[in-house]
Amino acid sequence: MTHHWSRITALFEEAVDLDRDAREALLTRTSVTDPSSVAEVRALLAAHDRAGGFLETPPWAAMPDLLSEDLDRAPDLTGRRIGPYRILEQLGRGGMGIVYAAEDTRLGRTVALKALPPAFTRDKVARERLAREARAAAGLSHPAIATVYAFEEIEGEVFIATELVRGATLRATLGPGPLTGDLLRILTTVAEALAAAHEHGIIHRDLKPENVLVSSDGRVKVVDFGLARSLSPTPGSNASLTVTGAMLGTPGYMSPEQLRGAPLDARSDVFAFGVMAYECATGVHPFGGTDAASLVERFVSPQSPLAHRIEPPALDAIVRRCLDVDPNARFASGRELLAALRGPGEQVPNAAPRVLSARAWWWWQFHQVAIAMLTSAATIAVWISRRWLAPWGSSLFLVTLVLATIAVTLRLHLLFASHVHPMTLPAQRARLLRSIASLEGVLLAILLGIGIAVSGNHDAMSAWLIVTAVLHVLSLAIIEPATSAAALSD
Amino acid sequence: MADAAPFDELVARASRGDRLSLETLLPLVYDELRRLAAHYLRGERPGQTLQPTALVHEAYLRLLKDRPDRWQNRAHFCAIAAHSMRQILIERARARDAQKRGGGAPRVTFDESLPVTAPDGRVDLIALDAALDRLAVVDADQARIVELRYFGGLTIEETADAMGISPATVKRHWALARAWLARELL
Repeated sequence: MTHHWSRITALFEEAVDLDRDAREALLTRTSVTDPSSVAEVRALLAAHDRAGGFLETPPWAAMPDLLSEDLDRAPDLTGRRIGPYRILEQLGRGGMGIVYAAEDTRLGRTVALKALPPAFTRDKVARERLAREARAAAGLSHPAIATVYAFEEIEGEVFIATELVRGATLRATLGPGPLTGDLLRILTTVAEALAAAHEHGIIHRDLKPENVLVSSDGRVKVVDFGLARSLSPTPGSNASLTVTGAMLGTPGYMSPEQLRGAPLDARSDVFAFGVMAYECATGVHPFGGTDAASLVERFVSPQSPLAHRIEPPALDAIVRRCLDVDPNARFASGRELLAALRGPGEQVPNAAPRVLSARAWWWWQFHQVAIAMLTSAATIAVWISRRWLAPWGSSLFLVTLVLATIAVTLRLHLLFASHVHPMTLPAQRARLLRSIASLEGVLLAILLGIGIAVSGNHDAMSAWLIVTAVLHVLSLAIIEPATSAAALSD
Repeated sequence: MADAAPFDELVARASRGDRLSLETLLPLVYDELRRLAAHYLRGERPGQTLQPTALVHEAYLRLLKDRPDRWQNRAHFCAIAAHSMRQILIERARARDAQKRGGGAPRVTFDESLPVTAPDGRVDLIALDAALDRLAVVDADQARIVELRYFGGLTIEETADAMGISPATVKRHWALARAWLARELL
């Protein structure tokens, strides 16, 4: 701060509170000694007097359009042709884009075409993430999930083509009062969709009544799987936070961890499901509303008591569990939630993740058992052969026994994991496979060596050892990768 | 301010690279932003209830991006939050400006030429941003007061608290800074 400026500050701050005459007297008096400061202060006082409410209204109140989405100002494309799509009608506008019914002229089918907010057309990183997410969602095939057909970039704009579901959103079906009769069926179907998506590692992230469509013939479809993730900025990404920030999800349905910006998993969807189920059953939002005031209230007292009880009591317990602030207290995934909704009479088996068919799964488990038995049998063969291999037969047997014991234990551990903790199997397998392969590699080399050494004198044993070794080679090189790929891949 | 001690202590621990306290700190940071959000809510008008929340989200994500070892205490945090808000609003204003001039990729869906009505209190944020930078050269404290008051939504008392000066000083400096900026912009 210069000396000149500090004099200006002092003079201005003294003069500004004075009335017109006193102010003039002060300035005239001071201008004798410091004319340049007085000239500056006069200009500032003039600016002060005409400033009115300048900077008194916060920018978000004075310029709400700066914070509103570009979408509000987007025109209706009905009747236009966008790439191969002929736009038939506008179906709706939401925070994540404008949805049209359009004809895909290449295939002659009618699709739902979602024009995404222009924020994504400007940002390459966001666009790539969106394409990736759309591809992941396109892998979901479930009757309760609207199928993703295509991710399109046409003339710098981004569109997602999905299965067209003619019907009302659950929000519209809800209306002013609670939903009756059909409630449990709709909720169970939504839980089925979540279960299927979670098993493919896809989290919805923005589950709400607006994203559940109920067609006129009663079919229920969940839309926009995974979209919220692509549309929300992550800390550290290059995506512009400015333009996408308003699309983190819908605050009223966000789990406490989502509001905090913490990493999310399936349990966040379970929370959103709880909010939606409560709303369906009671006709009111569990936290009073989705506006900012209710949201702030939720922050202040995170575990707010629920005002209404839901009938039947079993559903009430399920919804309360979904809405627990602590993710660990909720259902772990859509699958668990679905099992609870279906009730104890219809327990859903704890299905393994990423399992395409029960048959492939069975073969994978059979393979583990078969290899474990083969290894055990080979150990017995080495025990019998040891006396023909003096003086080192006993040492060789001990080495074989140790290797075989570890290899069999690891195999059986994987088998156990596949029964008890199927969710963790892919990770466990990735961790252990190298050890198992090394152990069995050494083992099969020993078997092969002994087989060759005893050949001529003990041909039957030699043949058995060599066959066992060859089977191990085949197992490691071909069968193991094939059954694992079938059972564990996407 | 209530709870100032644990917040300051956690900031100190986080700045020593304590990961655990960083995780403890982030919800507290969000609390702080929520407090800022409450200011917006008091001034809110019907029909725009969620926008301040969106702004808080953005500011929060920005703060996550910045390593919190730069925060010395609660007051410093308020200053950084207000600065984030300023950047967000300026970036938005710039993006709008660029669209109006028809820059960027050819747009088939989004018509940017729609007129925007100017209600009371509208300010050319880009010009304000530049003027504020010039004011900071003349008097850094006064520029900070404007940032905290206008972009951070703090009251006179809270600004005084955050800057460690008296409310009377904030009030006088605010009047001068406002006049200085008005002379530049109006």
